[in-house]
This record gives sequence, C-alpha cells and structure tokens, in this order.
Amino acid sequence: MDRTTKTLIHYEWKSFIRNRFQLLMLAAAFAFGIYAIYYGQSEINMQRQTIEAVTALEKKEFFEYKTSFQEELSTLEAEQTHDIASRPAYAWFRHGYHAILPPHDYASLAIGQRDLFRYYYRLTGMSLHYQLFENELANPVNLMTGNFDLSFILIYLFPLLIIAFCYSLFSAERENGTLALLQIQSVTIRKIILVRLAFYFTVVTGLALLISSIGLLTSGNPLAEQNRLPAVAWITGVLAYCIFWFALMFLIVSFRKNSSFNAIVAAGCWLVFLIVVPALLNVLVTTKFPLSSTTLAGLMRRTSLENENDEEEAREVIMEFLEHKPKLAGSDSLLNNDLLSKAYAAFTSLKDLNSKEEVDSYTAQVIRRNEWSSRFYWLSPAVNMQNLHAQMVKTDLRTFLRFHEALANFHGDITDFYFSRLFWNKPILREDYSHLPVFEMPEAQDRWGAIWTAIGKIMLMAVFVYLTGYIKMK
Amino acid sequence: MRQLLFIARKEIKVALREKLVVSLGIVTLLLLGVALYAGYVSYQQQKEIITETQAEKRKEWLNQGDKHPHIAAHYGTFIFKPKTVLSLFDFGLDAYTGTSVYLEAHYQHGFMFRPAQDHTSMIRFGELSAALVLQVLAPLLIIFLAFGAFTRERESGTLKLLMSQGISFRLLTWGKIVAYSIMLAIVLLPIVVGIFILSFSGIRQEVIPDIAFRAVLLVLIYGVYLFLFISFSVWISLRSATGRNALLTLLTGWMFFAVLMPKTVTNFSESLYSLPSMREFKARIQEDKVNGLDGKTPRSVRRARLEKEYLEKYQVDSVEQLPFNFEGVSMQAGEEHGNKVYDHHLHKLREIFHQQNRLRSIASLFNPFLAVQHLSMALSGTDMYTFIHFEKAVEHYRRELVRKMNGDMAENSRYGEFYGYKAQRDLWQEIDDFAYQTPTAAELLQLYHLEILSLLMWTALVFVLLNYSNRKMKPLHG
Repeated sequence: MDRTTKTLIHYEWKSFIRNRFQLLMLAAAFAFGIYAIYYGQSEINMQRQTIEAVTALEKKEFFEYKTSFQEELSTLEAEQTHDIASRPAYAWFRHGYHAILPPHDYASLAIGQRDLFRYYYRLTGMSLHYQLFENELANPVNLMTGNFDLSFILIYLFPLLIIAFCYSLFSAERENGTLALLQIQSVTIRKIILVRLAFYFTVVTGLALLISSIGLLTSGNPLAEQNRLPAVAWITGVLAYCIFWFALMFLIVSFRKNSSFNAIVAAGCWLVFLIVVPALLNVLVTTKFPLSSTTLAGLMRRTSLENENDEEEAREVIMEFLEHKPKLAGSDSLLNNDLLSKAYAAFTSLKDLNSKEEVDSYTAQVIRRNEWSSRFYWLSPAVNMQNLHAQMVKTDLRTFLRFHEALANFHGDITDFYFSRLFWNKPILREDYSHLPVFEMPEAQDRWGAIWTAIGKIMLMAVFVYLTGYIKMK
Repeated sequence: MRQLLFIARKEIKVALREKLVVSLGIVTLLLLGVALYAGYVSYQQQKEIITETQAEKRKEWLNQGDKHPHIAAHYGTFIFKPKTVLSLFDFGLDAYTGTSVYLEAHYQHGFMFRPAQDHTSMIRFGELSAALVLQVLAPLLIIFLAFGAFTRERESGTLKLLMSQGISFRLLTWGKIVAYSIMLAIVLLPIVVGIFILSFSGIRQEVIPDIAFRAVLLVLIYGVYLFLFISFSVWISLRSATGRNALLTLLTGWMFFAVLMPKTVTNFSESLYSLPSMREFKARIQEDKVNGLDGKTPRSVRRARLEKEYLEKYQVDSVEQLPFNFEGVSMQAGEEHGNKVYDHHLHKLREIFHQQNRLRSIASLFNPFLAVQHLSMALSGTDMYTFIHFEKAVEHYRRELVRKMNGDMAENSRYGEFYGYKAQRDLWQEIDDFAYQTPTAAELLQLYHLEILSLLMWTALVFVLLNYSNRKMKPLHG
C-alpha cells in the first residue's frame, strides 16, 4: 500500500467516524440483522418442536402396538390394540408413519418457502392423495408479508446501505467545492474514488460478513459436514452480492453527475432489481403458465365401494388391483377372509394409481413454469441471491418437490409392508416391528454445481459493471 | 388563484424538461399497464377454470346416482374460491389463501392449494399488480418529482427573487402541490378511467354486490394517499437546506414505511401471538370431540342421554319403535356436537389471526402505506375479512348439506338398515348450488376504522405542518 492510499484511508476514516448519521445507519443495520437471526431461529425452533411432538406421538403409538404382544389381553381395549397391532386388515389403515423434512441448521437464515409448505405428514396405507393436500395453519397476511430473516436483511437492506454510503463519492466533492483541490493533486480522481470505495466496501461488507458469521455460528456448527458447504457458499454469496452493488455504485458515480441524479438512479436500480423485475416475472409466470389446482382438489374426495355388502363388487375390485400387483396374488384363501378390508385397500390403491398421472403432470407444470422464470434470474442479482439462499439451506421449492416425491415412495413402502401381509393372510408379528418402513429422502444430485454457477454469474456481472465504470471514469 | 395556476404551470414545464423524471413517469405508466393487463388475464383464466370446475362438481353431485344419504354426505362436494373482478387491481391475499375446499360430513377440511406454493421463493418479492405500482412505485416517482420543489429554487437563488415579488410561501407551496397533483393525475388517468369502465359497464359481478361504490372509494383512497406523499415531499423540500438532504430524507422515509416497517410489525405479531401447528389444532379438536368440551362427557354418555330423551319424548321402550330412524337423529346430534367443538377451536384460531392483524392495523396509524394496503385489499375483496366471511359461508353450506342428508335418513330409513335405503336425485336437487357474495364495502369498512382514521390523521397532520412552516419560513434562510 503506497503512502497516498494510506493518507486517503486515514482521512476517509476521520470523516467516517465523525458522521454520526452513517454510524447510526450501520448500528441500525446490525441491530436489524441480529433481530432477523433471532426471528428466523425462533420460527425454525417452533417447527422443530412440532416435529418432536409428532415423532413422540408416533413412538407412543408403535410402542403400544409392540407391548400388546407381551401383555395379557385382559381388557377389551387391550384386545383391540392387539388386533390393530397384529392384524393387517386393521393395521394397514390405522398405523401412522411420519414423513418429516427436518429443517437444515441454516434454514433459520433463509426461511424461504418453509413457512408455506408442510414439512411433516402422517401417512397410513390409505389413499396417498387424500393425505397430501392439507395445509399447515398460517395467517395469509403474514405469508404475504414474508419473513424478516437474515436473507431479507442482506438482500434488501445492504444495497441501500451501500447506496447511502457511495452515491455522492464524487459529486459531494464538487458540491462542497473541494473538487478543484483534489484535481490539482498528483493522484487521479479515479484512484481517489476507488480507494474511498474500497474503504466503504470494507466497512459495509465487513458488517454483512460479521452478521452472517453470527448467524452461521449461532444457528449450527459451521464445521459439521452438512453445514460446511452452505456456510462457505453463504459467505461467498454475501461477498459477491456486495461486490456487485459496489461495482454498480462505481458505475453510477463514474458518470460524474450530481448527487441527486446519482441517488435517483441508484434508488431506481434498487427498485428495478428488488421490486420491478421479480414482481414482473411473477405475474408473467402466473399468466403465461396458468395452473389450476382444481383438478387435484377432486382427488380429496372420500369414496368407497358402491355397496359394502356386495361381495361380488369387492371381488372385482380386488382382482382389478391384483392385475397391477401380481405379487400379492396367489394366496389360497385370498377371497375367503378379510374381504372388505382387502377390497377397500384395493380400492384406495387403484384410486392412487388412476390419479398418479394427474398429480405428476401438475408437478411437471410447476417445474416447467419455474424453469422458465429461472432463466431470467440473472436480470436481477437480488432475485438470484434470494433463490440461492433458499437453495443453500434447502428451503426452496425444489426441496419440497423432492420431499413430495419421497413421500410417494414412502407411501409405496408402507402399502407394500401391509398389503403383502394382508393379501397373503399373514399376521404382523412382533419381529416385524424391528423392520418397519422408514422414511428416507435421497440427497439432491449436484445441487452445488448450480449454486456455484449462479454465484459466479453475480460475480461476472459485477466485474462487467465495474470495468464499464473503470473505463468511463478514466 | 391566477398566481397559483401560474406557479403550477411553471412547475410542470420545469418537470417536463427533466428527462429522468419524464422517463420514470413513462416507466411507471407502462408498468401500470402491464400490471392491469396481466391482472385481467389471470382473472379471466381463473374465473373460467373455477366456473367450469364448479359446474362440473355440481353435475357430479346431482348425478351421483342412488345412494344412502349419509354416504352422499361423505361423497360431499367441492367449493372453489371465486376471484373478484377487483382482484385484477389488487391481488391481495389471493396467492396465500387456499383456493379449494372439500365438504363432507364429520370433517371440516381446510382450504387447500395456496397458489404461492406453485412458485419458487421469488413469489415472496410480490406480484406486480396495479396496487403495488400505486402503493410502492408511485410514491417513489413523487419523491423524485418533488424533492427539489424548494431546494432547487433555494440553490439557484430564485427563491429570494420570488419572495421579493411578493409571493407568499403559502402560494408557492400550494402551487407546487397542485402542479404535481395534476401531473400525477394525468399519469394515472388511464387506470382511473379503466376501473370506472370496468365497474359501471355491463360486467355482471355476482360476487361483489357494490362494485361501483368500491371503485369510487378506491380512487378516493389512493387519491388521498398520493396527495399525502406529494404534500410531504414538498414539505420536506421546504424544510431542507439542500436537494440532496431532501432526497435522502424522503427515500429513507419511503424505505422505512413501505419495506421495513410492514415486515417488522408482521413478524413481531407472529412472535407475540403464536399459532398452534395443524397437528396440535386437530388433536385438540379430536380430544374434545371424544370427551366433550368439558372433558367429562364422552360419546357414549352423550348418546345415552340423547336416546333417553327421545324414548321419553315418544313414550316408547326402544329406539326401534321410534317412528323414524334414530341413527339419523344420532348422527345429526354427533355432527352438531362436532360443529360446536370445531367452532370453539376455530374461533380461538381466528382470534389469534385477528390479534396478529390488529397489530398491523394499529401500526397503520403510524404508517399510511399499511392503511392504504389494508383498505385496498378490503375494497378489492382480497383481504382477510372477506376470506373469513367466505370460509363461514362455505361452512354454513356444508352444515346445511349434511343436515339435509341426515334429516332425510332419519325420516325415510329404518333403524339398523344402513344399506337398505337409497335416496335419489330429487334429494340431491334439494341442495342449492353454492353461491357467494362478499360483504358490502360499508360493512367491511367498519372493520377498518383504524385505517380510515390513519388517513384522516395524516391528512390533517400534513395540512398543519404545511401551514405552520409556511408561516414560519424565512426566505433568507436559504
């Protein structure tokens, strides 16, 4: 660092600490950041508590089933419990398994769509789609307003901070009459501006990194395996985003217009990136790819056999179902006992089979419309960044779509477990309880490739903007 | 008066020379056009789908064939949330309230499918609606237009000249306010005309009863809101030493009111009054359904009580001797008990919603943006109260449907014969198709008195401030 740079930094520091208003802004940003971290954590903790509660319920339910094998069945109730525990004809629609999407440690920093989607389901062998569409309770007003999480602070507030610090880097000199003094110095104006820009970059980005580190450290262990990459990506993202905004301010300043003009243009850019582009994209997606959930709604209907006393109908339904599942056929006493339960199992499974196409095509439409809109994310680094945050901490739409896919597979495991016993007329044994179906959600493949590319795009844009400013400033 | 118009004319001329401001005005206008067009397209699309599907579900209900009434009550039907025509102007909560609900006996299902669930997290930035343009973007345009109202005169030294010609601050201030108001009115004229054509032309809106009245109110409320911004911007300009200061103050204020405060207040309300999870909510209902709201009267006790009551009333020894099917009566009693329990818990839940939203209403006293946002949603029929009103109408319909089914079962079937009796199409036809109308604007606005008070207070405040500063201001200051 040469001497002039040092002198410049020295004086910038002096004027910086004398400006109460600027210090106040930084303090406010810090306070908001801390509150945002607190808020995010309290939201996610509430979800964790709910998850704990449902897991405890499930444990209790299955504990009762298991113990019913050892107890002497003295009361009617105990006998009923044992029936539910051991007879597949009851068990298949009574045993409830929870499929849970636990929050990532850093979900509290970017709540994303996690307040909008359900993250736990209780599944029985009954029709999957009957169990899928219920929403979590939420106040629509609060959903609309959105979450005050760290992601919001970084994406919305920090650009404003950057604008406030930089919009008059050049123009203020002219307006205060000090420009002429600077021009007669041996350093170029460009260098002066760049050093001052670097100074504020250090201050503001430093603050962003400080808040982020607090968030990352208090929300989970950044060294834990599942947190390491997200933590690094988060920090890199913050850097890239700040670099972009500083580069943009440099470009705006390089036009050497007056302060008000700069402020208007900068505020205009903020408006375009944070409100106009996303709002426009959203409304375009809605109208260009209209989606109607009305067809799915129909799948909720609780239907059953026309007449439960009609054995002929029951047999027909069972045989139709077995065409799809030949493995379940073949028992000698297939149609002799538990006919109604089998028929009902067959009926609800057939219903799922028939509606699968509809549900899949709906999901495909959702993916298609969002793929279309994601092609335009580069138009706004803010949109890009917000989406990245959600992806890093797994609160994005994709994660929930994968969760739904995993749910369907899990439901398949559950029905396989019970139906193989129901249709082969085998009881559920005590031993079976040690290998009950377990919910698993496979990791997304190559999540990180897309994330790094997107961060790279923001960086690239920043470099481009910076270079334009550099040439312009001369 | 002539002087006032003269000042206004000069102000408009100057503003039109500012390329930046003119282009921002054009952009705003374009965005407004896009927003309205997209709103209209999406309204048409949704309306078509909903009308079609609703008719289809009606047909399914009517043609469900002969079956036992209670099975029909389980077969149930579906209701889809209609889009109000004014929702093309303000989408409000439409993306976040569910869109369809399944009605069946015994269970109250929640609304399913929030449209926002079909979007990536980008949806949380908001959708471009005319309301968004007017609430968020138009104020910014005003700020850009008016921040220099006085500071420019001051910085270029013309303020002293004006004063020396005997023009008062009052005249100057109002001249400028009038000028900006006229410019804004011109920019917004197309939308006002559009809304009026829409409301008064033949478009029959079954959902909103008083659409024209609402349109007038919308124009009035946005008029007041934008006037507030104009006056405040001029006032800040009057009080600021330099244009830079005025601009910064105004931008900070805008940021605080339109972005920061609504989110902070809302999230705060969420921490203050927390919601139960769906699982908890349902578990509590289930428990009370089984054990009674007092926790001491289980189903068996309730049933025995009902049986005794009917046996005594009809002077018979067993339920089989009753002249109607006791199962139907018992089922309806169970249904009513379930409803009572559900109502109790739903009321508590809505109370929490209400408390959360009330905090926003109180906050709106300090923030005209919130006030206008609430009023605009209310008038467009996309607010929380309209949604709850709709939910209640749906639940009422469900209860009537189930009651009719159970009543028919009690009347026409015999005890113990569940599959023996089958009702026919004429029973299904007795259930009218679901039709919904929002509450009137007058009814709704009573729920929003804080917001109305807010706008009145802010208007009064701005008049007081302008008046005060106009008197106290000394031209030599500048």
